[in-house]
Amino acid sequence: MAAKRNITQHTESEVIALSKKDQSYFGALYNKYFDQIFRFVFKRLGGDEDLAGDITQQTFIKAMMNIEKYEDRGLPFSSWLYRIAQNEVSMHFRKLKKNFAVPIDENRVIDVAVEASLSTEYMTSDQQEQLVEMLNNLEGDHLDLIELRFFQEMSFKQIAEIYKISEANAKMRTYRILERINKMWKNDK
Amino acid sequence: MRKFTLNKDKKDLNPSEAQIKRQKDFSRLHHDYEKLTKRGKKPLFRDPKMFLFLLVIAIILLLVFLGEI
Repeated sequence: MAAKRNITQHTESEVIALSKKDQSYFGALYNKYFDQIFRFVFKRLGGDEDLAGDITQQTFIKAMMNIEKYEDRGLPFSSWLYRIAQNEVSMHFRKLKKNFAVPIDENRVIDVAVEASLSTEYMTSDQQEQLVEMLNNLEGDHLDLIELRFFQEMSFKQIAEIYKISEANAKMRTYRILERINKMWKNDK
Repeated sequence: MRKFTLNKDKKDLNPSEAQIKRQKDFSRLHHDYEKLTKRGKKPLFRDPKMFLFLLVIAIILLLVFLGEI
């Protein structure tokens, strides 16, 4: 169903309020945010288009079902959608009995290495493999944070909005994990 | 569980506009939503617990009614 006519005349808060009464208004929110949520899910799944499509649809169904509970607390509406998408993807991973391989670009791995002060120079592919293995051994929530910051290339502000924490807290949590990675790396040498 | 691996095949990890367009479909979403919320409810007679509960209530009411006669 297409978004209702004249929807462009409304502000986003008004569209959200209208969606709470009549779900067909939700189409405008879907059209506005689908692309960015799909990109996020697609990347988290390492480029599996159909699966990303299904999980993104599932995200928007959950959002549509819970729109009545949504409260505007000054955070962007997209952060609420990212939170749902983040949970949906994590739930999908938990349900899987075998490992799901998510490819990550070499440059992103080097970004983690530089931020964790492991290497400022060239990293061999063996070292990169070793770091990826180390990341795979992190606890799920720690890895999520590393993923959002380095693989999804989100700002601390965006991460803070998704987790409903302060920007400083998001930064502190990330740097603590990086310190841990640094210690693990040194112990491994 | 997810397991990160190095992208050795240089696979594009960002979706193309065509892929986004292919997956973006509000009518499908609306249809799935309707199916989940409106048509998904089980009829009472197909829910064994609810059926038993209603049966017990009916028997109690019948016994009360018969007791009053």
